[in-house]
Amino acid sequence: MWEPQELGATRSHVDYFKKHRAARIDHYVIEVNKLIIRLEKLTSFDRINSDAAKIRAIEKSVVSWVNDSDVPFCPDCGNKFNIRNRRHHCRLCGSIMCRRCMEFVPLPLAQKLISGTRESLCVPGSPVQSQSPPAGGGGSGMGSRRGSISSLSSVTSMLEEKDDEKIRCCHHCMDTLLKRQQKLEEKDHTPDIVKLYERLRMCMDKVDEKAPEYIRMAESLNAGENTYNLDTAGGLRLEVQKYYELIDALSKKILTLNAKDDPPPHPKAMQLQRMIRYTATLFVQEKLLGLMSLPTKEKYEELKEKRKQEQEKRLQQERLAAQETLKKRQESEKNRPPPSTNGELLQAPRAPRMTKASGWLPSADSGNSRSELQDPLLQQIENIQSFLRQAREAQRTDEKLAEEESLQQGEIHRLKAREREEREHWGPAVGSTQPSVTWERCLGISPTEGIQDEENTEGEELTPKADRSPSSVRAFPALTSQEESPPRLRSLGGHVTPPGGEGQNSTSLNPFEEEDSTPVEEDPSNPFFEDIQREHKEVTNGKKEYNPFDEDEDVREEKQAETAPGNPFEEEEEDSDAGNPFLEASGNSPGVSTNPFDGDDDGEVLPDVDIIEEELLLQQIDNIRAYIFDAKLSGRLDEVELLSENLRELQHTLQEQKKKKH
Amino acid sequence: MNVTLAVKQYISKMIENSGTGMKVLLMDRETTSIVSVVYTQSEILQKEVYLFERIDSQSRDNMKHLKAICFLRPTKENVEHLIQELRRPKYSVYFIYFSNVISKSEIKALAEADEQEVVAEVQEFYGDFIAVNPHLFSLNLHGVARGRSWESSMLSRCTQGLTSVLLALKKCPMIRYQLSSDMSKRLAESVKQIITKEYELFDFRKTEVPPLLLILDRSDDAITPLLNQWTYQAMVHELLGLNNNRIDLSRVPGISKDLKEVVLSAENDEFYANNLYLNFGEIGTNIKNLMEDFQKKKPKGQQKLESISDMKAFVDNYPQFKKMSGTVSKHVTVVGELSRLVSERQLMEVSEVEQELACQNDHSNAQQSVRRLLQNPRLSELDAVRLVMLYALRYERHSSNMLPALMDELSRRGVSERHRKVTTPRSLDVLWTFSGRSLDVLWTPQDIIVFLIGGATYEEALTVYNLNRSSPGVRIVLGGSSIHNTKSFLEEVMSATGQSGDRAQGSSGRHGNRR
Repeated sequence: MWEPQELGATRSHVDYFKKHRAARIDHYVIEVNKLIIRLEKLTSFDRINSDAAKIRAIEKSVVSWVNDSDVPFCPDCGNKFNIRNRRHHCRLCGSIMCRRCMEFVPLPLAQKLISGTRESLCVPGSPVQSQSPPAGGGGSGMGSRRGSISSLSSVTSMLEEKDDEKIRCCHHCMDTLLKRQQKLEEKDHTPDIVKLYERLRMCMDKVDEKAPEYIRMAESLNAGENTYNLDTAGGLRLEVQKYYELIDALSKKILTLNAKDDPPPHPKAMQLQRMIRYTATLFVQEKLLGLMSLPTKEKYEELKEKRKQEQEKRLQQERLAAQETLKKRQESEKNRPPPSTNGELLQAPRAPRMTKASGWLPSADSGNSRSELQDPLLQQIENIQSFLRQAREAQRTDEKLAEEESLQQGEIHRLKAREREEREHWGPAVGSTQPSVTWERCLGISPTEGIQDEENTEGEELTPKADRSPSSVRAFPALTSQEESPPRLRSLGGHVTPPGGEGQNSTSLNPFEEEDSTPVEEDPSNPFFEDIQREHKEVTNGKKEYNPFDEDEDVREEKQAETAPGNPFEEEEEDSDAGNPFLEASGNSPGVSTNPFDGDDDGEVLPDVDIIEEELLLQQIDNIRAYIFDAKLSGRLDEVELLSENLRELQHTLQEQKKKKH
Repeated sequence: MNVTLAVKQYISKMIENSGTGMKVLLMDRETTSIVSVVYTQSEILQKEVYLFERIDSQSRDNMKHLKAICFLRPTKENVEHLIQELRRPKYSVYFIYFSNVISKSEIKALAEADEQEVVAEVQEFYGDFIAVNPHLFSLNLHGVARGRSWESSMLSRCTQGLTSVLLALKKCPMIRYQLSSDMSKRLAESVKQIITKEYELFDFRKTEVPPLLLILDRSDDAITPLLNQWTYQAMVHELLGLNNNRIDLSRVPGISKDLKEVVLSAENDEFYANNLYLNFGEIGTNIKNLMEDFQKKKPKGQQKLESISDMKAFVDNYPQFKKMSGTVSKHVTVVGELSRLVSERQLMEVSEVEQELACQNDHSNAQQSVRRLLQNPRLSELDAVRLVMLYALRYERHSSNMLPALMDELSRRGVSERHRKVTTPRSLDVLWTFSGRSLDVLWTPQDIIVFLIGGATYEEALTVYNLNRSSPGVRIVLGGSSIHNTKSFLEEVMSATGQSGDRAQGSSGRHGNRR
């Protein structure tokens, strides 16, 4: 019942504040700079080898000293000046104070201030080594030593007293200089906790980025969808878990930072460290405990099978429904020809919009895809390259394309690299003797990669297309692609290649989806069906496990619905391809033939059983460990016990599994 | 018109403005309450705020790697503390937010103290009130009245609180007040004055029907705070005391360590959000369901996880289970304690008589019931006083009222002197209303902010909640100088009438000395 509301009223005083501060700061900065410049003059000559009189002369030239007679009492402590309590001049501002109120700037501090200031003007951020002892302590220490000596000395010797390694000043000047020094030090000093904290945050950001991706995968896999690959998801899971470990380790390190120091750090510093650790724990708890586990390979196959059956059932129903609407529509169109032209006019604005968004559609070079069908990886690379070529020919230079191109190039690299990797990995072990196995592996991974990319762009894909008639985009790739390549081949290209064009019309690029959702029997307008089917069989020859059919039901239903109310382009197509020879052949139900290798699957998976169990076990062990950690932290000891027991059991099972395997 | 959201948005905006990195939140006593009511610690930790400090705290250390967000009331003391802070800054950067209007001269004083140029932001963010529920705010002020007029400092604080609510909700209202109450009139004038003075701030988009600020006086309805409550939130406040959405359970027999103080926040506690306006009976059922649900999810102590799928199920359910266990144990404890108190103090019977006193007009029955209960040894002192007060409010002018006899009864029961004094009527001219009836008129669709001088009750909050739900177009926010239960209301009355033993006596004693 509470709608969102805007931020309440606010009023800023920053400008007013800064105006008043600026006046004050100018004054302050001038003050500091004046002192630094004088300090520089006072230290720029060889103090040690100059005699006291010379030093004094130079010192007096830097700043005019206040007349002794003007100051009968020490302005700081109020003691009267006399022969025993002599006047001293601040070398930096010329004022007078007594010995007790006097301070010394040690030369190292002076040098540091001067160089620090100079550096901050020239090379900002260059490190200043802090080798000098704490200025205040050093200064006063020297002062007292001198004091004890000079108290024994005669008056003349006191006059002769030589400041060869320090500069005397009043404590107002000293204060200003110390503040300045502190600022210089802080500027270059990054405490350990900050460094660790930055790394911690980086890991957290990574988790925020990766975890949703993984959850999406796991959900999809657990639902038996083919969008993602089980291995990829497993890999991502491992990656995310690595980050959790890092977060745990880093925050632990922060927690114990300086803990054993003597003297112990300020309680607030410890509190800060505890809070950071606590936050990291909360983070891990919340995110990690939300990480669902993946199905085993076996289970996944079952899930897939179940889903497929459900989908087939639905497909059948939809097909019937669509058939009826088609019939009705055809009848109604026959009955009233004039409106149909109207309809075309009405539809017209759609086309340009659609073209604008997806104007260029890559299509594969036919020859390549057919001849090199044996090696799907090479084929993919080939395809992408051909898209690039076409893109260049089409001379689309807008940013989007450029971006896309680079992505595709990246894809090629990736694929090549992966191919190499696969060969190296599996080649000697399995692949060398039995090349088909290598392909199987490759296929299992590479299409998923493509599809995964598509999934990432799903957001942008769905929203803009909602009103853009996805059906037309899908049903007529020919219209949006280049005219010179025959529609048949184009569709072929689209088919063989998993979507390579990110963000660009990926729906129409996904051939599997098209195939599944193309109403075959009742939609004779699609001349590619048979083609696709055969093509598909050829491709699936190579793979045994994964069926990269991607199906988004909602989208498909929408498409179906959109297709029904007479799209003018569809008719056009129907006319031109009326004599498609594959039309009759498409009578067989695609439902039955979707995956001709279903039967093989079980046999194939069986040998892997042990390994899968092990994977799952490791996964569960990880989870339970996290829970134990969490339970311990919140002091639920009974739970810890229960969990530990589970952990032991799991570990035991794991051992057994391993024994069995060997 | 959501006060909780308004404060939350202010605070998250402050944190957002300060960018990334470790942060400390510097607050004063009052802003600490303001923040803690709308944000849980873990929520705010996630925004990289790791330390919460009082500006007046002496134990703070230099931590130049932290950014400081200062959320402070614009009081003299706070400005002085801040000036000291800026002279010797402990943190790297300061983002300063005042919860109300601050004077130019104070800004200037702060600017001149900022020689190290550590201040990055100075703003007014008008979160100067405690947002208890989305439509209920409190100023946590007690003893606002002295007799029939304002305690002077309280008038300005109430004005500040009320204007900040208006600014946070971006409303420039038409003000109406209860004519019979001088305090209402004074407050209305004071708010009007601020709106006129800060007309630039109150320059909001005009709506067709202007929003309405309705100022009422608690003395208009002394009955409501005296009644026992039977909805969850109101009951918790009445029986356990709800302070900034926190309950102190440390006096509950056999309480475990981590339940000594619990937070009840509808923002983060789904069960509470769903049940805070339900009555006790319904809550009993709901808590039972919650328990059963929980038992199902709970891993059985001795159960062995036989198979992989058992373990998988366990692991998958664990997070939910864990989250639930905290909520379950909290509410089971709270509801358990409520029902213990209900039976121990025989509140069912007491409440029945209260209702009889409040709603029926049968003197002889009423006085019989009151007498009967007063004779019951298990009746608590508070309940005895409450019954006699209700009787007094209702039948004081009845020709044959039994008030002196009942007062005798109270003293015989050993009810303390100060409580007995309260019951002696100051209520002669108290208007007869009951349970927020004064709020229950026909509303035109409009945004309404109701403020009750002398404190609102959760009973009235419930009325407002229901009104919001039942009347489309009407959006009401209720506020009070505090939120009362019977006990705090008695204290308020005692302080207003100068009968609150200690404090009143103390001050009169001082006067005496001076003379």
